[in-house]
Amino acid sequence: MENMIKYILRRIVSIAIMIFLVMTANFFIIHAAPGDPVTVMTGLEQPSKEIVKALDEKYGLDKPIVVQYFKYIENLSRGDLGYSYVYDEPCWDLIKERIFPTLIITITSSVLAFGIGLYLAIFVSHLGKKYGESIVSLLSYILYATPSFWLALIMILVFSSRLKLFPTSGMLNLRYSYSGIREIIDFIHHLVLPVSTLTLIQIPVFYRITKTSIVQNQREDYTITLTAIGVSKERLFKKYIIKNAIIPPLTIFGIMLGFSITGAVLIEIVFAWPGMGRLMLDAVFRRDYQLLLGIYFLMALFISVAMLVTDILIAFLDPRVRLT
Amino acid sequence: MKKVFLTFFLISVVIFVGIAGMTPKKGGTMVIAYWGDPISFNPDAKIDDAGSGIYGCIFSRLVALDADYNVIPDLAKSWEVSKDGLTYTFHLRKGVKWQDGQPFTAADVVWTFEQIMSHKEAPAHAHFARVKSIEAPNDYTVVIKMKKPYSPFLGFLAWYGTYIMPKHLYDITKGGSPVDWLNNPHNQKPIGTGPFEFVKWVKGAYVMLKKNPDYFLGEPYLDRIVFKEIPDQNTALQTFLNGGADYDENTNVAQLGILKKTPHVVVYTKPSPSRYYLAFNVGRRKSPFHNKKVRFAVAYALNRKDIFDKAIKYGKVAEGFYTPAVSWAYNPNAKIPVHNIQLAKKLLDEAGYPVKSNGIRFKATLVYFQGQVWSDMATIIKEQLAQIGIKVKLEEYEIATYIQKVLKAGDFDLTLLDGFQGPDPDNLTLRVGTGKDINVMGYSNPEVDKLLSEGSQVFDIKERAKYYFKVQTILSQDLPIYPIAEVINRYVYKDYVEDLPYKLVGVVAYNNYAKTWLNK
Repeated sequence: MENMIKYILRRIVSIAIMIFLVMTANFFIIHAAPGDPVTVMTGLEQPSKEIVKALDEKYGLDKPIVVQYFKYIENLSRGDLGYSYVYDEPCWDLIKERIFPTLIITITSSVLAFGIGLYLAIFVSHLGKKYGESIVSLLSYILYATPSFWLALIMILVFSSRLKLFPTSGMLNLRYSYSGIREIIDFIHHLVLPVSTLTLIQIPVFYRITKTSIVQNQREDYTITLTAIGVSKERLFKKYIIKNAIIPPLTIFGIMLGFSITGAVLIEIVFAWPGMGRLMLDAVFRRDYQLLLGIYFLMALFISVAMLVTDILIAFLDPRVRLT
Repeated sequence: MKKVFLTFFLISVVIFVGIAGMTPKKGGTMVIAYWGDPISFNPDAKIDDAGSGIYGCIFSRLVALDADYNVIPDLAKSWEVSKDGLTYTFHLRKGVKWQDGQPFTAADVVWTFEQIMSHKEAPAHAHFARVKSIEAPNDYTVVIKMKKPYSPFLGFLAWYGTYIMPKHLYDITKGGSPVDWLNNPHNQKPIGTGPFEFVKWVKGAYVMLKKNPDYFLGEPYLDRIVFKEIPDQNTALQTFLNGGADYDENTNVAQLGILKKTPHVVVYTKPSPSRYYLAFNVGRRKSPFHNKKVRFAVAYALNRKDIFDKAIKYGKVAEGFYTPAVSWAYNPNAKIPVHNIQLAKKLLDEAGYPVKSNGIRFKATLVYFQGQVWSDMATIIKEQLAQIGIKVKLEEYEIATYIQKVLKAGDFDLTLLDGFQGPDPDNLTLRVGTGKDINVMGYSNPEVDKLLSEGSQVFDIKERAKYYFKVQTILSQDLPIYPIAEVINRYVYKDYVEDLPYKLVGVVAYNNYAKTWLNK
């Protein structure tokens, strides 16, 4: 236990250092991109030089980049994620509005995809080499190769345009402003298509990793030994193989949860979902430096923590893993 | 006799039903599938194209533009301009209230315009450059004095970033120092004098408004308007067709064919004062197009009807050097050269660009920004110029890089542009005036500059037109740009939506839905 605490503390220090390095690299890479927020803001219709100069001064964009960098790091160390040039609001205010809509679709779909992928892999492997496997594997290859935005559009065309089962886009029916339980039902109704699309896209990942992992375990020495001493196939599979095979998909699941904060840009665009992915993409196009950096900071933090949690969880599940 | 009577009866019925059918119905929510998210609800502080489609519902101006770009009364019910063009007197409506119940007065107007004048980054700032003073002799009169006559002033006052804002909410201090209008909390929760009141804004999702029963042009018919942000045009189309929106403001031309055939969908198009054109590098970095003969050669080689038919499809092929949508200023006699390959080749020979052994005369870059229309236009231009031995290299960039490369650095030979050229021909100054903001070409002709400057000081429209006619003639001789096509505005909505602002020319501003109603 003492080792564990030492390990966690060490990891937290390394995460802090890593995030600092990542943010430094991001800062300079973002500023190296051609164009800047002010010229994008003023656009092509009214790009008055006077406006550009005034805005550059207002946001401190006329200062040398190194000065801007130290200013940014100073703010960040005080927990200030910066100020959006485009929206004239603190970045955190813009980001926090997107967190719930983002996580509800990404985490729900990751959990579903993890469960379904795992179940399918176990089901198919347990069944042996029958038709089932070929069909499921074929489907998983097809889904794996399907572009998400295309699948999203097809889902809209089939389930909302043709079958009229689900709403086409957005989070709520804006024509009728529901409240209370009706609002929650309406929200879930809007949630179905984006979540199903994201789930379908992710299932093959978990399915294939779990299946490969099961096949590998079936060839391990311990399997042969256990079979030789007369452990039944059923017991061997349920008690030993699954337990071992679950580690790789669980690791991937942890990483995916880490990325869940970044949202799913293409899905958010197609379903007009106000998530983090779209906020990030807009920030890229508008060169909203600090907003973009704020999102990257959150992303780096989320991923690091998710990985740490995953490692600890795996150490609990698999006594062979020692955290040192 | 019986027949006559029957006919008379039938006509009466038709007329009666017709009139009854057109009596506006109250109530309902209109959902607009909208293309973008506003950056804030301060309508004057920054350039915000997505916001400007919505601001007209919440705020009012002194004077407004209708859908045909005429200046119409808004908060000012009438106005006078002195003979020398130096004094504008606006008479304000009485009894107008802010949506929080406070009375609207001339003090709000004076405060708003002072803010615009003291904020260099305000989009309307430049149009106030010749203003000497703004005064309110009483609560319902505003007098603006100019240093020099500026005839486009009224048009620009009606256009962008000139909404009157509530002084009582914005003229505040925090800790003893005044709060800048960009940091005012009401930027997130606006109060205006317009037909609709702000209800809710979920960023990236929607803006919801409800009617203002005390609106000065009469209580609006709609209960609510929702601007639903749908960035993807395919999704916007499906949402619209599936009943999730009544009005689709995020269409593309490729969809118009299908939409026109869809029952209960209205597709209406009308000319917009915006146009597509090819701009030559006339005076930026080194380029063969500094030579006028080379520019004319390109103009003779290009077939803009072909470009229009294949890439643009909707609108009109350009014929002259200004938008015909501002008809009084359009010179029909300043023509673009007619397609003539032989002449093009001859001009290039004369200009010192003979065909080399590889069949090429010279290489040139065509820089444009992302988008189907642009890449289609660029591809066709490349093919057409290959016929006279100009090898065009296409460079496509997203907008930030494009602006950096073309506007700031001038690093291109040819580029494609469009953009609003109204509400007044003075807008030409921005595009062809020496050193001006959208003059990416680096074009400079002192005579053009002089004519544009003089034109902006004349008030009689017939007299003014002469200056702009002359400018267009010179442009047709200098050819810093090659106009390709006139852009159209499109309106796509369900047939039960009645009286959209574009139909109410002279009555409401182009973005004011006070008189719109749902016939269902």
